[in-house]
Amino acid sequence: MRISPPRLLLIVAFVLVVFLEARTVLAFFGVAVSPLESAIAAVAVIAVLVYWGTRPVDEEPTEE
Amino acid sequence: MSELFVEKYPEQARLIRLAFTASFIALGVGAVFGLLQALHRTDILRIVESPTYYTLLTGHGVFLVVTFTIFFLVGLYQWAVTDSLDRGPVDPRVTWTWYGLMSAGTIITAVTILAGFLGDPPEVLGSELSADVLFTFYAPLQANPLFYVGLVVFVVGTWLAGADWFRTWLAWSRDNPDERIPLPTFMVLTTMIMWYISSIGVAIAILAFILPWSLALTESLNPTLTRTLFWYFGHAFVYFWLLPAYLLWYIVLPKLSGGRLFSDPLARVVFILFVLLSTPVGIHHQYLDPGISEGFKFIAMTNTMFLLLPSLLTAFTVVASMEHGARQRGGEGTFNWLRALPWRDPAFTGMALAGIVFAFGGFTGIVNAGMNINYLVHNSVWIPGHIHTQVGTAVALTLMAGSYWLVPQLTGNRLVNRQAGLVQVVLWFLGIVFMTNSMYRAGLFGVPRRTAEPEYSFEYDIGVGSMAELNVQLALGGTLLFVSAMLFLGIMLLTAFNDDTEPLVDGTIPPALSGPEDSPPVLDNLRLWIAIALVLVVIAYIIPLASIVDRGGLFGPDIGPFPVFVQITDAIPTVFYSLGALIA
Repeated sequence: MRISPPRLLLIVAFVLVVFLEARTVLAFFGVAVSPLESAIAAVAVIAVLVYWGTRPVDEEPTEE
Repeated sequence: MSELFVEKYPEQARLIRLAFTASFIALGVGAVFGLLQALHRTDILRIVESPTYYTLLTGHGVFLVVTFTIFFLVGLYQWAVTDSLDRGPVDPRVTWTWYGLMSAGTIITAVTILAGFLGDPPEVLGSELSADVLFTFYAPLQANPLFYVGLVVFVVGTWLAGADWFRTWLAWSRDNPDERIPLPTFMVLTTMIMWYISSIGVAIAILAFILPWSLALTESLNPTLTRTLFWYFGHAFVYFWLLPAYLLWYIVLPKLSGGRLFSDPLARVVFILFVLLSTPVGIHHQYLDPGISEGFKFIAMTNTMFLLLPSLLTAFTVVASMEHGARQRGGEGTFNWLRALPWRDPAFTGMALAGIVFAFGGFTGIVNAGMNINYLVHNSVWIPGHIHTQVGTAVALTLMAGSYWLVPQLTGNRLVNRQAGLVQVVLWFLGIVFMTNSMYRAGLFGVPRRTAEPEYSFEYDIGVGSMAELNVQLALGGTLLFVSAMLFLGIMLLTAFNDDTEPLVDGTIPPALSGPEDSPPVLDNLRLWIAIALVLVVIAYIIPLASIVDRGGLFGPDIGPFPVFVQITDAIPTVFYSLGALIA
């Protein structure tokens, strides 16, 4: 894994919070985002995060 | 690894375990009531009639902001005094007496509240056994006298607990005449000074006015006076919930981060500021109350803004301590040190998330404190949003996270399933964000608080999205919070019975980077701070109280109890009169 499960859990939680609050913030600037659009975008970002986070780290040659 | 608290002080550990047990039972009941309220208000699931909603609401408030928080406080403070002074109480009988009083008071009050679920409650002391008066028990709402008796017995228990801790400290200071007060004990003593000064207000309100009125010994009271006395106590009451969380942030969080407290003197200054400023600000809860002149409200607003100072000092000191800890663990860079913090540890993560939510809630508190914008949100669901971010998360989540560190030391058992603990604190964080985002937004558009029927028969134009969407969000948040609370209680229960294991916890508290020797001894002069606090209280309250009594009298202009259930036959003339006025 590229990131430990606790960190991944926390990042996923913060992504959800950002998407929830962003909808309200964007509305102040006249950008209307529906709950469905917001949910789809959040799920997509979380899926990418989980995919990236759970992939094995590439073996890197040591410098010596 | 240091000797466990339970091995060193088995009797004290037993008392603290019992206090935490009472606290956690209240958390469980309050959480169930909270879920039922969230589902009822949003009209998603209604398993009680709407009038019974107010029984749920009263129970949710009393069990969570009185029983859960204060039983945890006395347990935590008993640990703090014992551990930092390295000695038990002078007379354990006093200790068990205050625990007994608090328990008895809780049971008496709980019975009066829960009797509200009965179809035909019995008559006790001349009135129906019921207490649907919310935790603020504003007159002319009237509860059964036993409700107030229970509260009085509970508060007397807390007074005795404070006296017990002062006595332990005095015995210690006789043996250590030249020593500074250890920081945890200093925090306990200053909290209790604030509590003594402020709770005089609610004691007078209950004993002199509300209790005699509920027993029909007096015929009337002055609601503005009793409300003002309640809020004389009420804002300090808020800090009584908060200061145990502060103690954990200052004492335990730096250690969990891997470092040491940044500044002991700053921590002392913060607690002194709470002694001085927490009481003369209560009128800011009454901006919309008639009968108090705008000038007094403006002074209260100014005083309230000074309370930002200890909060900002705390933010600086605690974050600096965390950064120091992270750098001890190899963290580097301007922000990269955040990655070095122990995010796997539910005790650390819970407190850190609670701190983040507290900062956000603090900003909404500035809105509440501002006289003009308070008018916009005062009676709206914005206010429950604020209280749920502050006591419902900054305090509750910190206390739960602190339990993950403290309970193994009190039981001698290893914490069960640390990973589940981490999921629990993250679930709470998500739940509160979902629920309070909905509450804040709905509040800004005027959706009222303290009602089972917030929408009546129309839909609010809420600006962004729809009311239905906000309702779903509120219910989802409330459900996540409920699941999180149950998960926490499950982990605590399993840990309590997790015998034959060794705790993986070190209870040693490292000294601060800047210790008490870096601060002037005057900070420990408790008599001086008490005197200044009393002067500030007199300045802030003497003229408003005199004005209220002068206008309405001590016992008010014929104020009878407000009927909780209005008889339909009584209401018909009023309805016709109102309709006639509308048509005309």
